[in-house]
Amino acid sequence: MNSKVNPSEAMSTANGVGDEGSHGHIKLKYQPAVPVPKGKLAVWLFLSTEIMFFTALIGTYIVLRFGAPEGSWPTPKDVRVLEWLGAVNTFVLICSSVTIVFGMEAAKHNLPGKAKTWLVATFVLGCVFLGIKAYEYNSKFEHGIHPGTPRSLLYDRADLSYLSALKANLDAEILSIEKTKTALVSEAEAEHGHSGGLDNLVLIRSGLVQWTQKTVGESESPIMRELALESLAHQINPRGPNPRVDAYLAGETVDVRDRIAKLQGQQEAVDEEVREIQATVNALSEELEGELDEEKKSDIESRLATATEKSKTAATKATEVVDLLAPLESRVAAYEQFNGIHDGLNEHFHLRLPMVIPSGNTWANTYFLMTGFHALHVLGGLVAFVVLLMFRLDRSRAGLMENVGLYWHFVDIVWIFLFPLLYLF
Amino acid sequence: MIETDTLDHHSAQDSNTKVFVFVFLMLCVLTGLSFWVANSYLMENKVVGWAAMMMVSVAKALLVILFFMHLWWERAWKYVLTIPALIMGVLLVLLLVPDVGFRTMTYSKDRRENAPKPVVGESAVSETVVGTSETLKLD
Repeated sequence: MNSKVNPSEAMSTANGVGDEGSHGHIKLKYQPAVPVPKGKLAVWLFLSTEIMFFTALIGTYIVLRFGAPEGSWPTPKDVRVLEWLGAVNTFVLICSSVTIVFGMEAAKHNLPGKAKTWLVATFVLGCVFLGIKAYEYNSKFEHGIHPGTPRSLLYDRADLSYLSALKANLDAEILSIEKTKTALVSEAEAEHGHSGGLDNLVLIRSGLVQWTQKTVGESESPIMRELALESLAHQINPRGPNPRVDAYLAGETVDVRDRIAKLQGQQEAVDEEVREIQATVNALSEELEGELDEEKKSDIESRLATATEKSKTAATKATEVVDLLAPLESRVAAYEQFNGIHDGLNEHFHLRLPMVIPSGNTWANTYFLMTGFHALHVLGGLVAFVVLLMFRLDRSRAGLMENVGLYWHFVDIVWIFLFPLLYLF
Repeated sequence: MIETDTLDHHSAQDSNTKVFVFVFLMLCVLTGLSFWVANSYLMENKVVGWAAMMMVSVAKALLVILFFMHLWWERAWKYVLTIPALIMGVLLVLLLVPDVGFRTMTYSKDRRENAPKPVVGESAVSETVVGTSETLKLD
């Protein structure tokens, strides 16, 4: 047992389960399962998990996008995506892939200075990519496109929940401006700062939101209710030309103007009535003062009481007519004020009112999730570059450079898929 | 180290550089191509346009993987790592299709009433417009 080695024992040692009994009589040569350096193998293993990770994210987006019925997914214009900026970023990443390849080649040929220059170029290109990304994110945040509540201003459809959100937002905005206005020391400053904006907001509230609320409440036809809400959403943030809404608004304005004319006729009649009754009342009270006969006096008093009663009724009628006129007039005022605005009130007056973009929130969630994870990967790559730049990049570091390069190329590949999906679909 | 398996046995440095520059130019051309597809008549049928853009993307990704990531010159181990990962990824996406891809097919009435509302197509407009001015009598 001591002198001779049992073949089965040698076998088991080769399999990694042998004990120390063999005393190293047999020298076994290590055969790697995969004929590449360990670091490279590790990077490739990591990348194969990354393939699954990003395929899940991108695949979910594709399935969501393809499953959305025609017209119920935001267009690039809806969500402020600039196609050419995405193309520029694609170009930047492709360039960075080339520079890191050249950097690795330089290291392999033992040219550390050249390798470092290429690596710095890659680092700069990565920073440019992130800078453009930050600019894009910012332009989305400015337009109320956030990944979900509480900041998101996007609604799937023009319905009652949208209407109430719009109303709450407007009320809060108007209240805050009024508060600031009273807090400001100089009136002139307030005028300069907010007055015009406040006027617009008040007109939007009375002429658009409260009007729509009234129309929706009073209308019996679901089609009219839908059109009223749709036209409101269209005026706040249009998704391209909408002849349906234009026709609705034009027709409605004609109708509202008719009603105003009718009511103004009524108002004149009521005013006339009020004046007549007032005249009677005045005459009676004069008569009453001059009269001394008790009997006649009580008669005049009773007539006066009737006349006063009548004048009260007439006054109520007059205020009723005024109450009826007010919303109609603000509706026409809003129509005249906002009719020529084709880019929507939000864009035109730099407002942040809730908007209707079908599937806008789903889009924003997936967009920020995918580009966010991608940007994190870019950031990770940049950190790796900084670490790499601390070394002398000669032949001995070529393997290290290749590993970082593999990771960077993968980041590039992810963007190759994200670009058409997010910018061009 | 790295030299054993990747590029050195393949060719001299100059031809490598040539390959990389060629791949770079191809990537730029392909990016332009997908940009062109997005603004061309191919998008009249969206599925055709999308498929074309995805094929361009796959071609670009293959160029990067094969040449920048040297898989073209690697031995058979490359399949061990890439193919299972791809299968898992594709399977996961396919598993989503019945639930997520076909989600609108199984919407209840309530769900449909609260779902994102598609924009009305141009063809439906003219009829509604006529109806609108006629029926618009608010009082």
